[in-house]
Amino acid sequence: MKRNKTVKLRGAQTGTARFGLGMLMPTMILLLVMTAYPLIFTLLYSFTDYNYLRGAENASFVLFDNYLSLFQNGYFQQAVWNTVLFTILAVVLEMGFGLLIAVFVNSLKRGQKVMRTLLLLPYLLPAVTVALSWRMMLSANYGIINQFLEFLGLPVFNWFMDTHTAFWTILVIDVWQNVPFVFLLLYASLQSVSESQYEAARIDGAGVLQQFLYVTLPNIKGSLALCALLRTIDTFRLFEKVNVLTGGGPAGTTSTITQFLYTYGIESLNFGFGSAGAIVMTVLVLILSSFYIKRAMG
Amino acid sequence: MKKRPLALALALATAVSLTACGSSGGTSETGSGDSGSASGEPTKMTLILRGGAYGESLEASLPAFEEEHNVDIEVMLMSFDDLHTGIALDAVNDVGTYDLCMVDGSWMAEFTENGVLANLSELGYSFDNDIIPATTEICIVDDEIYLAPYYGNVTVMMYNKQLLADAGYTPEEIDSFADVQDIAQKTRAADPSKNGFLIRGGSADNILSDFLPHLVAHGGWVVDENNNPTVDTPEFKAAMEDYLALYNVGGTLDKDDIVASVTSGETAMAQIWPGWYTPTADGPADYITIPTKLTDDSEPLDAVALQGVWCIGIPDNAPHKELAVELLEYVMSPEVQLASIENDGVPCRYSCLTDPTVLETYPHLETVCGALKTGVYRPAIAEWTEFTNILGTEMDNIIQGTKTMDEALSYAQEQLEQLMAV
Repeated sequence: MKRNKTVKLRGAQTGTARFGLGMLMPTMILLLVMTAYPLIFTLLYSFTDYNYLRGAENASFVLFDNYLSLFQNGYFQQAVWNTVLFTILAVVLEMGFGLLIAVFVNSLKRGQKVMRTLLLLPYLLPAVTVALSWRMMLSANYGIINQFLEFLGLPVFNWFMDTHTAFWTILVIDVWQNVPFVFLLLYASLQSVSESQYEAARIDGAGVLQQFLYVTLPNIKGSLALCALLRTIDTFRLFEKVNVLTGGGPAGTTSTITQFLYTYGIESLNFGFGSAGAIVMTVLVLILSSFYIKRAMG
Repeated sequence: MKKRPLALALALATAVSLTACGSSGGTSETGSGDSGSASGEPTKMTLILRGGAYGESLEASLPAFEEEHNVDIEVMLMSFDDLHTGIALDAVNDVGTYDLCMVDGSWMAEFTENGVLANLSELGYSFDNDIIPATTEICIVDDEIYLAPYYGNVTVMMYNKQLLADAGYTPEEIDSFADVQDIAQKTRAADPSKNGFLIRGGSADNILSDFLPHLVAHGGWVVDENNNPTVDTPEFKAAMEDYLALYNVGGTLDKDDIVASVTSGETAMAQIWPGWYTPTADGPADYITIPTKLTDDSEPLDAVALQGVWCIGIPDNAPHKELAVELLEYVMSPEVQLASIENDGVPCRYSCLTDPTVLETYPHLETVCGALKTGVYRPAIAEWTEFTNILGTEMDNIIQGTKTMDEALSYAQEQLEQLMAV
């Protein structure tokens, strides 16, 4: 009897394991096809001189030549520096403004829904639409912003064609569009902080700043880390705005890694070289992500 | 018991969807010259064209062909870069998507070297004497025709009528680059808020393309007869000095801003492509051919303006090749080319550009005709896209002052030599 029970139990366990595996299979297959396959081929191509028009059959292995050319390339070095600087500034500004707005909206007694909807609008727009709208507003010739500055008697700028302003202009546009994302995530997190914790803090004599530092921040720490992680990965891949507004110029001051890869890899169809750049970028994003994930895990 | 069939069904569904995705590319129609299918359904053709007046003028001529041949034509209008990538990405398929494509002359070497375009001579197409010979130069490789010049795009010098008069010039008097420099300097001197001359920024290709006529006028070129780069040269530096002098009394803007600035009277002169602006008799701006002399005392050169003719060709893997040849012959016919002018088209035919009734309404086409006859194409080298990225970026560094001319040109020369040596 006991032996029969053990056999039945083992059979049930095997069945459960098989069922679990069966349920996982569709996802695993999709992941393999959609993620692993392109990643492996990108890695493989990065060691070749593959040009799309010449075809993969005419490509030959060049080992680390693509990586060497990449790291020795002055334009790539400039693009990496621009990307890192842009990411740090954009994420810090977006997190700062997003948190401020989230705390402000959360503290409102009335009109939270309206504010939430209005604040979300920039994030709902496609990046290309945002870029084109800003390009019209910031046009050096007929843009409303320069006209307004002229009206006030202030100096006007050639925003996208001047090395002193192009980088910062794109930064402002990116921050403007992505602050709502940070706001939404942090606002949702703030909603879950129990009011009783604030009451207890107030009874203990905590002021507004102390409540924020010792009640609000610890409660939304996880969301802050997640938000920073998502924004870092997304900002690191910045492409549309740069491509539409400046094409990486003037003088490479707005060139990012993705813009560089597009110009020197995709546009010229040198997919071997482009793949090497894509692998380097993936590694950089992974390093950044692991740093944040570790912090979030505590 | 119910779990296993469920897991199997899910796995089967995944396999079926993946198979369906994988097989979708193999169902394309094979090449046929027949118009319409046996059931009377119209044949589907797809065209990939340059956006703006270049492609739109061609698109406007299609309804008559669609009706006559029982075809349904889908037109995809793309930006410069997307058009290049779109044609190239489709070129590796056994049966492609596009029946007709618009091609920039600078891609010609790359495309013919890799068998992207069909040999039009083999398909029975030939040029007639009405087509301006200079515009066909890039279309022929080893006496075989691969492209037909559809849109006569060639750089011209746009000017503001009032500012030109204020500088003491008439359009006919501008026959040298020294005159352009003089007008630009006088405009800025008269009013520091005005631009004497605008150059186009935005991409390496824009910067380099606009500069090439200035380089030609100084007796330089970007490659020698063996396609070795020649950018760190006295001619290049002299041309760049003059170009910087123009930039210093103007600025750099994108194309929409350039046109708006000249028409609004903020800028005296700028180099443009005819597709950007159609002058009218009572409009504030017009254009002239780019001068062929460096100074008033210099000997005039044969060709200075840059040819950017938008050509049409048939991909070698076009799904309906014979029908595509008919379409190409149709859009290149004198009647259709003439009618395209109404849609901002610029034909490459003498008969259209010198037609007295056309010139009554569009007098600027006489200027375009003159420029097309003497234009110079970018070098026909397969590496042109990379070449232009490197040189344009270094020129931008000089213009923006982030590198000295010697530093930038020596770096560009080194990089270009490496590129051409591969």
